[in-house]
Amino acid sequence: MSERIAYPGNFAGSMFTYALFVFIFSRVWAGAYAGTTEIAGYTMSMAVWYFIIAEIPSFGFGRFFWTLSRDMKSGQVAYLLARPYDFIWYNFAEKLGGSLIEAGIILVEGLAVGFALIGLPPAIASQYPVGFASFALETARLGFLIVSLLLAGALNYFLQMAIAMTAFWLEENEAFYWIFQKFALVVGTLIPIEFLPEKAARIAVWTPFPYLSYAPARIAVAFSLAEAWSLVARQALWVVLALALAKVVFASGSRRLSVNGG
Amino acid sequence: MTAITADRLGKTFTTRVRPSGRFSAARALFKPELRQVEAVKGVSFEVEEGELVAFLGPNGAGKSTTIKMLMGILQPSEGAARVLGLDPTRDRVELSRYVGAVFGQKSQLWFHLPPSDSFRLLGAIYEIDEDDRKWREAELVERFGLAPYMDVPVRKLSLGERIRCEIAASLLPSPLVLFLDEPTIGLDIVAKREIRQLLAEAARIDDTTIFLTSHDMGDIEKVCKRAIIIHHGEVVIDESMKDLRHRALALKYVGVRYALPVNLDLPGLSPVKRTALAASYEVDTRKHSLAEVVRALASRGELEDITIEDEPLENVIASIYATKSGTEAQAFGSQRGKREAGSGELLHA
Repeated sequence: MSERIAYPGNFAGSMFTYALFVFIFSRVWAGAYAGTTEIAGYTMSMAVWYFIIAEIPSFGFGRFFWTLSRDMKSGQVAYLLARPYDFIWYNFAEKLGGSLIEAGIILVEGLAVGFALIGLPPAIASQYPVGFASFALETARLGFLIVSLLLAGALNYFLQMAIAMTAFWLEENEAFYWIFQKFALVVGTLIPIEFLPEKAARIAVWTPFPYLSYAPARIAVAFSLAEAWSLVARQALWVVLALALAKVVFASGSRRLSVNGG
Repeated sequence: MTAITADRLGKTFTTRVRPSGRFSAARALFKPELRQVEAVKGVSFEVEEGELVAFLGPNGAGKSTTIKMLMGILQPSEGAARVLGLDPTRDRVELSRYVGAVFGQKSQLWFHLPPSDSFRLLGAIYEIDEDDRKWREAELVERFGLAPYMDVPVRKLSLGERIRCEIAASLLPSPLVLFLDEPTIGLDIVAKREIRQLLAEAARIDDTTIFLTSHDMGDIEKVCKRAIIIHHGEVVIDESMKDLRHRALALKYVGVRYALPVNLDLPGLSPVKRTALAASYEVDTRKHSLAEVVRALASRGELEDITIEDEPLENVIASIYATKSGTEAQAFGSQRGKREAGSGELLHA
């Protein structure tokens, strides 16, 4: 974390781009919702807030691949292997730990921009003024949202780690990340998966992509305890599977490490 | 006890050959042309605990690759290694607890953090007890004179300051073996001298086995007691620094300056440099006795000055590096080592 905050100015670019994206999408949804109040169960407020939350993992946790891949290609990985730690978990602590600050800043910015553009998030708005029951529910929603965002971060990290480690075999592996990014964007980041054609949505839930951004965004805009538990449990399962994948790729790839020269 | 054993250790890299010609790039996608590069060809040596060994060789000789195999970072293609009784490939994580490394061209400290934070982080990574870590850190800070830099981000340190911090950090977990890969690269003379002193001191105080690669003869002469020279992936020389220096002693550089111009050519020995009053000669003491050369020079006229210098060790090693194969280098090394009976009769003029 200390490394990440060495240059606070680095956050400015992400914050500006994020605010711009949110503004543009709020206008896109304003156009899409002209003449209708609901699309696939989402009101316009829900759709805008969905985008605000769904973009947080992309901005906060979306760039592990580049640093990991750079370490692989530059040969820095050889020096990182010379220490008594688990390579995957060490990088997890370093990369995800560092990203938490960025994700936290984007979350706070998202809440502020969302409030300025479209008002309070849907559930709070509908139950305002807040009573004790709704307060308890809102607290649960916030708790699930944070857990879900952290799981999204972990899933993002392990999947990007697995993709970055293909550099053990391939000189050029950016195409894999490009494909991964596009799937992640379409399946749950730009739009909720309920907006996808029914067949595509049914297939999507069996892939890891909805758990990178759909899960926390869904928890934020259409919270129910049962669905939140289900989404978080599925996210946790995908995290375990992605961790196993990263471990297998590392175990196999590190044996093929080829670093020439000093 | 043996700290490091390399037994016919070899590494072959497979690289893709860049295709040329029409559609060759597309063809290479399906049928890539691969080339095997033998970086290290079955090197064997043993290093005892506490030894200070220089591991030398020209660029591309296989030094760094050998170090990486000894640390378990690279898997050998052939042969085996043991470091502190462990198999580096199989026991890499366990071995890294007892082995330190400094790579002059790569920073192992966290670039944006001050060394004090890196030391704390390393303490956690190596699971050093907090009190022990503080004690050890204080000792290293004093020994390496790091107090002024401990709270400055690494990115703001000069190269010399950073390397000092790197070496101190590598000694934090009290490693039994320290691998140093060109630790003084890019440093000025003063910084180099300081680093050499600190390394020699570290080896003496901590009884650390030092395995050093460097292109700088000063590093090797000041720090190491033994030299292993690797060339074309093979060990071509493995002997004490004392023996290696003896190879250099075979050649002497004799410089003379006369009060008046004289004939500077000696029979069988021409000056390598000359002016009207001065000259310098490269004397192979296996062919000419030094005493006879001096006598012959003195007999030419009134000497104002005479100097006799050893051939720099660097020249001997450069000659070995210039050979085209491992076998040639070995042959050259042993030839350089032989002392022939001198025949100085031509000098009596």
